Amino acid sequence: MTDRRRINGPPGGTRPAVYASLLQSATGAADRAQRQRQPTDLRKIFLKTGLIPSASGSSYLEFEPSASLAAARANPKSLIPPSSALKLACTVHGPKPLPRSATFSPNLVLTTHVKYAPFAARRRKGHIRDASERDLGVHLETALRGAIIAERWPKSGLDITLTIIEAEDDRWWGDAPDSHDASWGMMNVLAGCITAASAALADAHIDCLDLVSGGVAALVSEDMTGSSGPPRLVLDTDPAEHRSIVSACVVAYMPARDEITELWLKGDSSKAALEDDDKRPGHEALIDGAVDAARGAHTVLGQAVRESIARTVGSA
Amino acid sequence: MAASLPSLAIPGQRLGPASSYSAGPGTHVQQSSIYASIAGPVCLDPAQPKIQAKATLRVSRVATSKYQTRNPQAGAVAAAQPKPRYNTLPAVDSIVLARVTRVQKRQVAVSILVVLDDTPSVGADPSRTASDNDNVASILTSAANPENHSNTDELRFQALIRKEDVRAVEKDRVVMDDMFRVGDIVRGSVISLGDQSFYYITTARNDLGVVMARSEAGNMMFPVSWKEMRDPLTGVGEPRKVARPF
Amino acid sequence: MAAQRQASSASQTPHLSPAELSYLYTSLSLPKTPIRPDGRSTTQFRPLTAESNILPGTNGSARIGFADGTQAVVGVKAEVEKTTVAADTLDARGLFQQQESPAAAAGDREAQEGLGSAAVSGHGSWVQMSIEIPGFRDDDALPVFLSEMLRESLVGAVSGSGGEDMAGGLKGRLVINKRWHWRLYIDVLLLSQPLSYPLPLLSLTTHLALLSTKLPKLKSQGEEDPLFDDDWAAAQYLYPRSAPGSTAPVTTSQQVRPPVTLLVISVADNVIFDPTREEIAVADAVLAISVARDGGHDGLKLLSIRTIDPPSRLTQPGVPNSENVNMLANATSVDDSAAGGATAVNLATGDEEVSGVWRPRRGGAKRSVLARMVKTVLRKGGVGEEVLEGLEGVEVE
Repeated sequence: MTDRRRINGPPGGTRPAVYASLLQSATGAADRAQRQRQPTDLRKIFLKTGLIPSASGSSYLEFEPSASLAAARANPKSLIPPSSALKLACTVHGPKPLPRSATFSPNLVLTTHVKYAPFAARRRKGHIRDASERDLGVHLETALRGAIIAERWPKSGLDITLTIIEAEDDRWWGDAPDSHDASWGMMNVLAGCITAASAALADAHIDCLDLVSGGVAALVSEDMTGSSGPPRLVLDTDPAEHRSIVSACVVAYMPARDEITELWLKGDSSKAALEDDDKRPGHEALIDGAVDAARGAHTVLGQAVRESIARTVGSA
Repeated sequence: MAASLPSLAIPGQRLGPASSYSAGPGTHVQQSSIYASIAGPVCLDPAQPKIQAKATLRVSRVATSKYQTRNPQAGAVAAAQPKPRYNTLPAVDSIVLARVTRVQKRQVAVSILVVLDDTPSVGADPSRTASDNDNVASILTSAANPENHSNTDELRFQALIRKEDVRAVEKDRVVMDDMFRVGDIVRGSVISLGDQSFYYITTARNDLGVVMARSEAGNMMFPVSWKEMRDPLTGVGEPRKVARPF
Repeated sequence: MAAQRQASSASQTPHLSPAELSYLYTSLSLPKTPIRPDGRSTTQFRPLTAESNILPGTNGSARIGFADGTQAVVGVKAEVEKTTVAADTLDARGLFQQQESPAAAAGDREAQEGLGSAAVSGHGSWVQMSIEIPGFRDDDALPVFLSEMLRESLVGAVSGSGGEDMAGGLKGRLVINKRWHWRLYIDVLLLSQPLSYPLPLLSLTTHLALLSTKLPKLKSQGEEDPLFDDDWAAAQYLYPRSAPGSTAPVTTSQQVRPPVTLLVISVADNVIFDPTREEIAVADAVLAISVARDGGHDGLKLLSIRTIDPPSRLTQPGVPNSENVNMLANATSVDDSAAGGATAVNLATGDEEVSGVWRPRRGGAKRSVLARMVKTVLRKGGVGEEVLEGLEGVEVE
């Protein structure tokens, strides 16, 4: 049954035409997002707690935009941004009573929701959580449950909700997926989620063993062919800045105890190019790299929590 | 030794060796060191010679501006006005204010509005708790437990006052309808975490019981005895299990 | 709610008392020679029965039953699908050329470079996996987490040197030509309520089903629309394997095998494989480690690691005797600081480990522990190889 009174658009989704001349500027190697940082340099993080008054704890986290994104914003050549920078908000509600139907629990019952805003990624996400978002929720829950001292909160539930306002790309937007393609952006998102959730938990005064922070490291190979040439270890990767990510790892790490509560590693880490005297297997080097990145995030996290405490003490 | 303590702590920060302090709320022990587990001002409660040998280190949830009380000479916990507090769960022995939601023959269901400030010692200083009667209203309206400000009972902890926990004497002659009415504000003491859905509360003490109630006519009543409250306008008395008013 | 809680930790916590948990933990953490409740060694798997090719309507199928009665059935179905390059994966190089020589738009060069590597190396979304577990909705966390975990290692398995057939791993194998590809549906059915964390069962069954999966033989050539041989006997294995009984040397591509995901726990200094539900309940750390055999070198290749929330964090703590006496004594004496007193006592005595008294596990795992767990799986002649060999032995006719 078609609507004959109006001129309707095509039934399926369409995208605006992108003209080749527009793209030309983006095709040159110079316009491709390039990593300007050293392999061990981390992006700056903006983290602030207590922005949502109705929640018992909240935080907002933002990664520094990459150099090419900043340049493109200042001096736009194309309608398409070269990369994106992570922005997310976290709220903690509770502790609150468990629903009537729940069974007795001597510990805090943690529920985590990770949701991409529909406009977070280049491709629109629906309002219903999809498999990857649920997957992230489970990862986050594992990471936090190891840090929370759950027996201090019997019979209560804690809801942690993360809204991803801007997500990281899985690869440079113009690249077709190659054989190493996977959702690498998700790993950066998870690391950000862990750090933000940890700040929100501290803001809500939930007992934790330590501020747990997230970090990402990856093995990347830069050359065109992708597979030849040993991949290098890079901390805090922005997937849009690399030709091909071979393997990546995200950890949730507690510096005070030197313990990992969550580890997610994927990809082939066997061919890492390490220093000659480095006898570690690739995956261990990758985990150590991610831990170093997490230590970096922890300094920001600690400072943000201190600031929020100083604020409440000062205002009291 | 107290000088080496930081004034503010963040979770995971080492505060001191477990050999010289004992760990209080807001801290945890790991490998014989005391670490903070929440962010907040560090307090040092002096050792009480009879009970414990070591001073108790704790991280306060209360954002008092007087966090310098960690100095042992400054005495016990500063008796400050109710400050914003975060996420206090009812625990055994804590005093709560609760609203009656349902009166049944054998028990009364209440929903907990506020977990009152840690009173240093209920038995030793009952006059102090009693004086809370005057500021019940202010406690209820202050941002004591921010998360309790939502209006739904679903989001509050539910509790039961069983018939045998209403008063200490003549337990078998208790008639629930003469003790509580729906809407009364009750001060009670938590006796058990209870089952999956209810805490258990007792009012079997002189200072516990109904602290605020409205009459049938809808006016706020004043207490006249341990078992009666009266409407100031109509002059009609109603039976209640009244908390000691003075 | 209850289902959600189960889902997140490794499986529903068995109803064991703190005393039982402590006993189990102590016997599993004995240095060098842990004692498992069923008498297995640390690396021994539970006995299982396996058969493959049981469903005629599928391209490949398998069934595995554990001795405890849990069974899983996996069916693999393949469909031919047209390859579309999504609009947001415009290959810039292709466009560039298109602009230079518009006439060549439909030409060979464009076809080679324009469609780009997507059509050559395959795409992860071509493998679809769904897991059905009784008692769980299919959007519950557990099935979603499990299927993501299994799929991730499947499509992530890229062999750098696996010979021509398996160059791009499973993804590459699904490419028919530049315009057509296979779409693989892997449907996993758990036939009973999971008694232990179902990951090893599902992973082994999926592995076996993929080993037995056959795709019809392609008759068309090059960039033609695909046409297949309708003789099922001529069909080719998805993962090439040597004909049974043949003595021909095994080529490198025949060594490429689908990945398996192993569940490994650590208890104190011990690393334990194929844990039962009771054993997981006391674990310090639970890892799911995916490995596969790569064509090139003969060792195993690590594909992915994921930590799984150990349910030991949700258990009830035991009460040491000292604390018990304290409580009795305290009841009569003045309690030290009213409401805070209860927790203070708990903390002061409870945070120290009292031997023989169960404390729920806290915190994470040390890096050295994780490294040791991975090493035990990957070692030459280690558990990973043993499992793969065992599965290879399952008759596929």
